[in-house]
Amino acid sequence: MVGLSIGEKHFIQGGIAQDLRSDGRKRLTTRPIYVETGVISQANGSARVRMGATDVIASVKAELGRPNALQPDKGKVVVNVDCSPTAAPMFEGRGGEELSAELSVALQCCLLGGKSGSGAGIDLSSLVVVEGKICWDLYIDGLVVSSDGNLLDALGAAIKAALSNTGIPKVNVAAGASGDEQPEVDVSDEEFLQFDTSRVPVIVTLTKVGRHYIVDATSEEESQMSSAVSISINRQGHICGLTKRGGAGLDPSIILDMISVAKTVSEQLINTLDSHIAAAEAGEEES
Amino acid sequence: MRELQLSLNQTQKVRLQRALEKLEFLSSKANSNASVTVADSIPVNYEDGLLKGHGTSEFNGEVVATVCGIVERVNKLVYVRALRARYKPEVGDIIVGRVIEVAPKRWRVEINYSHDAVLMLSSMNLPDGIQRRRTALDELNMRSIFEENDVICAEVRGFQHDGLHLQARSQKYGKLGRGQLLTVPSYLVKRRKQHFHNLENYGIDLIIGCNGFIWVGEHVQVTDDMVVDQVNKSEQDDAKPDENSFSPEDQEKNYTRQETRENICRAANAIRVLSTLGFNITVEVITETVDLSTSINVAIHEMLGSEFYVLVAEKESVRRSMTKKK
Amino acid sequence: MEYVSPEGLRLDGRRPMEMRQIRGEIGVVAKADGSALFEMGNTKVIAAVYGPREVQNRSQQLNDSALVRCEYTMANFSTGDRMRKPKGDRRSTEISLVIRQTMEACIMTHLMPRSQIDIFVQVLQADGGTRSACINAASLALADAGIPMRDLVTSCSAGYLNSTPLLDLNYIEDSAGGADVTLGIMPKLDKVTLLQMDAKLSVETFENVMQLAIEGCKAVATYIREVLLENTKQLEYRRGI
Repeated sequence: MVGLSIGEKHFIQGGIAQDLRSDGRKRLTTRPIYVETGVISQANGSARVRMGATDVIASVKAELGRPNALQPDKGKVVVNVDCSPTAAPMFEGRGGEELSAELSVALQCCLLGGKSGSGAGIDLSSLVVVEGKICWDLYIDGLVVSSDGNLLDALGAAIKAALSNTGIPKVNVAAGASGDEQPEVDVSDEEFLQFDTSRVPVIVTLTKVGRHYIVDATSEEESQMSSAVSISINRQGHICGLTKRGGAGLDPSIILDMISVAKTVSEQLINTLDSHIAAAEAGEEES
Repeated sequence: MRELQLSLNQTQKVRLQRALEKLEFLSSKANSNASVTVADSIPVNYEDGLLKGHGTSEFNGEVVATVCGIVERVNKLVYVRALRARYKPEVGDIIVGRVIEVAPKRWRVEINYSHDAVLMLSSMNLPDGIQRRRTALDELNMRSIFEENDVICAEVRGFQHDGLHLQARSQKYGKLGRGQLLTVPSYLVKRRKQHFHNLENYGIDLIIGCNGFIWVGEHVQVTDDMVVDQVNKSEQDDAKPDENSFSPEDQEKNYTRQETRENICRAANAIRVLSTLGFNITVEVITETVDLSTSINVAIHEMLGSEFYVLVAEKESVRRSMTKKK
Repeated sequence: MEYVSPEGLRLDGRRPMEMRQIRGEIGVVAKADGSALFEMGNTKVIAAVYGPREVQNRSQQLNDSALVRCEYTMANFSTGDRMRKPKGDRRSTEISLVIRQTMEACIMTHLMPRSQIDIFVQVLQADGGTRSACINAASLALADAGIPMRDLVTSCSAGYLNSTPLLDLNYIEDSAGGADVTLGIMPKLDKVTLLQMDAKLSVETFENVMQLAIEGCKAVATYIREVLLENTKQLEYRRGI
């Protein structure tokens, strides 16, 4: 992907070892993050997040559906990510599919918990309208418009922002339907319920280069990684999901160390993100 | 409209706006409305005879622009100087590029031009510095000179039937070692006498390639041909242990010195800021921006924050009005 | 259904000859050679241009002109009802082809032999007139990339509903079953480079509708030229001497 000469590789690795990366950041400093909400007017909620040259859009669409028979008290959430060829010519045709699938699965595992849906970052039981009969299906779509590393964290942040921008229509269920009948519903187009996002986690990816690990890696730095661990952590400091990428093996004690570092980083990230989301929402209302 | 992708607060917005307006005011005096977009007709005086240059074509007896840019007139020649576009090579330009392929007797180099440039083995000084015919052995050893992804510096030799050729016939050209490569739009780099800069007080090398590739790296001593032999040997001896030994401690000792690295990163961020703002990039402006950042104690990574952008824009407007007055 | 009220207003409150709000922004994708965002009402499209660069697949290389390629993709969230379409379905392939042919007609490909230009258009929101928005975005992006062109192609659609010619149809009007004429012109050369219609119309009405679309294209052209000129001026004065 990114071709670097030996000298450049050496420079990047050296920078990470000396705690001064190519753009002057320390190992645990993130790039400035910009959040814009409500960018897709046709969706229930949407957000665009930029970190350096990385630019992603996330949108949330809610549709009424039937809950899964095994989990009658839970709604459904589907996460899907696409890499637009505008980001890089290599994503043209089917070129972006592998990366898209990798990102989708990683997000799913960071946000949605296991098959049972318990412990998910997104509260699935709040999506139920009538138990066993009607629930909301949330379709979360991510789009990578421009890519310069750390896509997963950016998508995670965009999804969090999009969810806090999401209004789910209020549903009035006609009383009287019983048994197997599908109750009649009336979807309000005026009243919306704000989605509770206080427990939605953020994702922090720690990329290991040499003996150290860094946050918010650029694509040049990612090309030098031996392995990366993505940890999703919510405000309470609970780990909601974890994925490891990259070939090299990690020492278990290092993983634990990384998790505690990710926890501190996530606190800052959640705070900046929340203030940005609030500012973006305020700005949107003004205009 | 190209918008700066920055989040500025209200006062910063106003300040940036004011600085940019000042720049506009300063430049509008110099050249009148010579900007054109695609398919604008260019007023010309036919009586003097006319030569149509780049970026123009003829339609219905009018001269029409085919790119967005600035109309330039030199005697009878009328052409449009494009701003944002890929690099247009001129013979003698000093460029920085990346090797993408090692082919028989030549390297292919990516230089932000519409084709890959070619550097022939025969237009390259051999490491031993002796002028001689290239043998088959030299050809086999090409990868020991440059391999794929290496960043190199060379000079544009000219166009030949099979594309653009480069040459590297001096010790100052060749492989670039430790540092970082930045890409800026090539219109921001002006051709000058000097493209190699050794910023001695920072201990860094700066090569501003005409193609918009800028190298910022550790200073490397350039030696003349006579002593190259010995130095090369001793350098190789130095280099051997760290490349072959995988112990991280050894490698760490060999990393760029902290102080030099700080300067490299500062210069690199200065270039990033200037390129985003769309200011002309010269060694003077880069050093001034670096000095500005150190004088007000901005942390290196904060140079990419909104406040520093505004400061640089303000500084540039002051600088340009000063040169105007002179 | 009534698409034009007796007062002469359309469903979204526009007059029949009125275009939706248009907006163009240059330089939205950092790494591309040229890029642009174009909005026509709720339709929102990003175009990115890579090149001219070395031909990636040598067998496609043309010795006398540049190879122009185009790919059109729709984001999953771009339509009102979320649809999961496989990449490269027939509709996208057709639109990619239409955009490619339209842009190829204006790019001076003979100036860049043995090179390749890639145009990628990504629909963020679709609300009718995506073809037109894509072509307008691509024109802006190509101009931003400094690629020599004969003229700026601009595009606009027009339709015929309730015996009224309507300019710039939105999704509801587009799917109403009336005729939808998508037109692309090169305003300076005064040539039509794209013309598509999908229903029957009498020749006289067609003439009116097409005339309306031409007016629409010209209005878009005026706007795009303004954006580009302003952008060029800014680049120049910022650069300084």
